Amino acid sequence: MKGNYIARSVSDNGALMDPKDQIISLLKEADLYQKQGLLNEAKERYKKATDLIKQNTGIKNGKELIASIVKKVVDLNQKINDINAATSKPTVSGQKQDLIKKLFAGGGDKENYSNLLEGAIALAKFGQFDRALSEFERLLDIEPVRVAAAKNIARCHLEVEAFEEAARCFEKWVDDDRFTNAQLDKIRFFLEGRFRKSGFERELYQHEETVSDEDMEKLEMESESSDKPQADEGLPAVEGQEVDLEDMELPDEDEFLDINSVGILIQAGSRKGRMVELDVSFQTGNSINLIISSKEGELLTALEKGTQLNDMQFFSPIAILNGSGVVTGKTQIKSGPKEGDYSLDITILTT
Amino acid sequence: MATFNFKNREIECKIVYYGPGRCGKTTNLEYIFKTYKKQITGEMVSIDTEGDRTLFFDFLPMGLGKIKGCDVKVQLYTVPGQVQYSSTRKLVLKEVDGLVFVADSLEVRREKNMLSLKDLHENLKSYGTSIFKVPLVMQYNKRDLEEEGIPLMPVEKMNNDLNRQLKAPYYSASAIKGKGVPQTITECLKLTLLNLQKQLKWAK
Repeated sequence: MKGNYIARSVSDNGALMDPKDQIISLLKEADLYQKQGLLNEAKERYKKATDLIKQNTGIKNGKELIASIVKKVVDLNQKINDINAATSKPTVSGQKQDLIKKLFAGGGDKENYSNLLEGAIALAKFGQFDRALSEFERLLDIEPVRVAAAKNIARCHLEVEAFEEAARCFEKWVDDDRFTNAQLDKIRFFLEGRFRKSGFERELYQHEETVSDEDMEKLEMESESSDKPQADEGLPAVEGQEVDLEDMELPDEDEFLDINSVGILIQAGSRKGRMVELDVSFQTGNSINLIISSKEGELLTALEKGTQLNDMQFFSPIAILNGSGVVTGKTQIKSGPKEGDYSLDITILTT
Repeated sequence: MATFNFKNREIECKIVYYGPGRCGKTTNLEYIFKTYKKQITGEMVSIDTEGDRTLFFDFLPMGLGKIKGCDVKVQLYTVPGQVQYSSTRKLVLKEVDGLVFVADSLEVRREKNMLSLKDLHENLKSYGTSIFKVPLVMQYNKRDLEEEGIPLMPVEKMNNDLNRQLKAPYYSASAIKGKGVPQTITECLKLTLLNLQKQLKWAK
C-alpha cells in the first residue's frame, strides 16, 4: 500500500480509538509515569507511542515527534542506569548511623556492653561497615563480648568478600595478649568454616596444642553458647538477646535450623495441657540444652530423663516448627550463677 | 513486638508502611508529619537516594498521649519498596506491631502490588508470624490520578486481587492530597492497640 495512512487502533477498553488520540494518551501516560518515578513503565509507553507513529505515516511531524521521544528515552535510560548502579548500602551520616543503632539495636538506651554490641551489629546489618568495625574493635577490650566482636569483625570483611583481610585480622589477634588460645580456636573454627563455604583457601595459624577432631566437635557445640555474652561480676546480665550477625544468613536447608526457644506441652500436674516456652541455652545439630530454674518444681518433675515430648514447638528465627523430642539428660548445676538450676538435654526427633 | 514499661505505664509500638516502590509510603508519612504536629514527638528522618527512593527507611515518632492510663508512643516506619532492597525491608519489618499496605492504583502496577504483598507475607513468615495475625490495613493510593485520565484499577478489583483472603479494612486514598491518610493510620492504630491490649493487658 502506497502513500500515507492512519490505521485505527483498539484502545484498552476495546473501543476504536483514533491513533492520534492514542499517541497523545500514551505520551501523557508516559510523562505522568516518569513524574511518578515509574521509569520502566514510562519507557514502555514511549516505545508504544513510537511504534504507533511509525505505523501511521500520516501523522503530522511524525519524524520530529519520534526524535523528541528518543531523547526522552535516552534520558530515562540514563536515570535507570544510575539507579541500578547505585550501591544498595551507601555510608550515611553519623547522625543517621546513631539513629540506626538506637532503633535497631533492640536493647533500649542503656549503655551496657551487650547494647554496644547490638548497636554495632545493627550498623553492620545496614552496611555501615566502617563505623561498625571501629565499634567492634573497641569491644575487643571487653572480655564477655570479645569473641562475638572478633567474629563480627570477620563477618564485616566476609560480607564484602575481603577474605584475606579477615584472615589478616585473625593473625593480628594471634599476637594479641587479650585472646586466650580457646578464644582463638573458636574464631579460627568459625573463619575456616566460612572460608570453606566461600571456596577461599587459606591456612590459619594454629597454636601448638592443636585440637583433636573430638575437641573440634565440642568446640562447635560450645561456640553457639559462648559467643553470647555471659553475665559477669559487676556487669549486667544479658538474656534472650541475639548477639551476632547469624541471621544475616539463612542456614542450609539440609542442616538443622538454629532453635532459639522451644514450646513444651505439659502432660501432667496443674499445668497439664499448657504450652511452656523455654529458651535454648545452646544447640548442636539435633540436640538442644535448656536451663530450667529450680523453682519450676512441677515442670522439672514432668521432664525426667527418657520422657517423650510430643507436640513440641521449635522457634527458629525463620520458622516455627512442630515436632517431637526426648529428654536425654537432666543434671543439677553444682556451681556458678545458675547453681541449683537444672540443665536439660533434649534430642529433637521430628520436625 | 511493642515494649511495655510497667513502671512508667508507657507503651511503645511499631507500625510499618509496606508496599511496592513508588506507591506513596513516604508521602503518607510526610502528610502525617505535616498535619499532626501535636502528636509528632520528633523529626521525620528519611534515608533515601538521589532519585527520592527510600533507601533504608523513613522514621517518624509519635505520641498519642494517655490512653486508658497508659502513655502510648508510636514509631512509624516505611520500608524501601524497590525489589533489590529485600534484606533492608526484612530488617525494618522485625517486631512490627501493625501494618499499612499501600497499593498503587495505577493499572500498570497491578503485578507489583501483588508481588509486594507476597514479599510481605514471606518476610513475616520468616519471623515466625502470619500476615493474618498482624493488624493490617490496606490503602489503595493515587486515586486522584483518575482525574488525569490515567488507567487505574477499580477499587473492587484491587480488593479482589489483594484483600480477598485477608479481609483487612481498606481505604481509597490520595496521599499527596492527604485523602484517606488519616483514616488509614487511625484504623491501623486502633487495630494495633486493640491487639496489644489483648496480648499485654496494658489497659487493665
